[in-house]
Amino acid sequence: MGNHFSNCIFCKIVAGWHPARMVYEDDLVVAFWDAKPVAPVHILIVPREHIPTLNDIPVENVILSHIGQAAAIIAGELGVAQAGYRFFINVNQGGGQVVFHLHAHLVSRSNPGTDNAPDV
Amino acid sequence: MTDCIFCKIIEGKLPAKKIYEDDQAVAFWDANPASPIHILIVPRVHIPTLNDIPDGDTLLCHMGEVAKRIAQDLGVAESGYRFFINVNKGGGQVVFHLHAHLISGNDLGTFFIKVAIIGATLWRKLLSILGADGTRRKN
Repeated sequence: MGNHFSNCIFCKIVAGWHPARMVYEDDLVVAFWDAKPVAPVHILIVPREHIPTLNDIPVENVILSHIGQAAAIIAGELGVAQAGYRFFINVNQGGGQVVFHLHAHLVSRSNPGTDNAPDV
Repeated sequence: MTDCIFCKIIEGKLPAKKIYEDDQAVAFWDANPASPIHILIVPRVHIPTLNDIPDGDTLLCHMGEVAKRIAQDLGVAESGYRFFINVNKGGGQVVFHLHAHLISGNDLGTFFIKVAIIGATLWRKLLSILGADGTRRKN
């Protein structure tokens, strides 16, 4: 799927050439735990296709909706969809983008399974 | 939704500093900006959270496309911006009508630091050339 860039770390993860703690994958995206998490839940959702930034998504491409849908599914599976999470995309250097292969962060300060935990 | 502040803004019943609108979404400046550029992109249809977007709906694509256009119009698409959606209370969502934030800081802070560093370096160089910092006098 997609065209792989040999020097792109996310392309390597998508291709299985670099290890990552996978949490979800389908024909359009893969999602894995961030190697340097900033919260109890920190997942990166990465399209298989190498698109550098949000600015570079072609108008007719529906990848962003698919990424958002994957985020809702993953948040549900991890049990933080109701507790709450933040979905964000950093765009270019000033926006905090470090890896130039489009990706969304799913971050939750709630611990996995919080949705299912009994109310105290 | 009669009690939804974003529905009221969309209907024109509440004021907002609009920056963009089309048949699917409205975008306006955040009333309490967290950054020099802070825009809210709101779909016209009342969907409470990201979790509630129906499967196969391309609304989020459209919101991303609007973010991109606004970032280009404001001249921050290349320098950088952040596109985010808070989901539910623990995710920081306050208004339960789906919306995306577009924020971008101007680089004024780092600009002034850079100017200060360059200024200090040039000043020291000038002093050393003039022999005013004491190091040259020994020669």
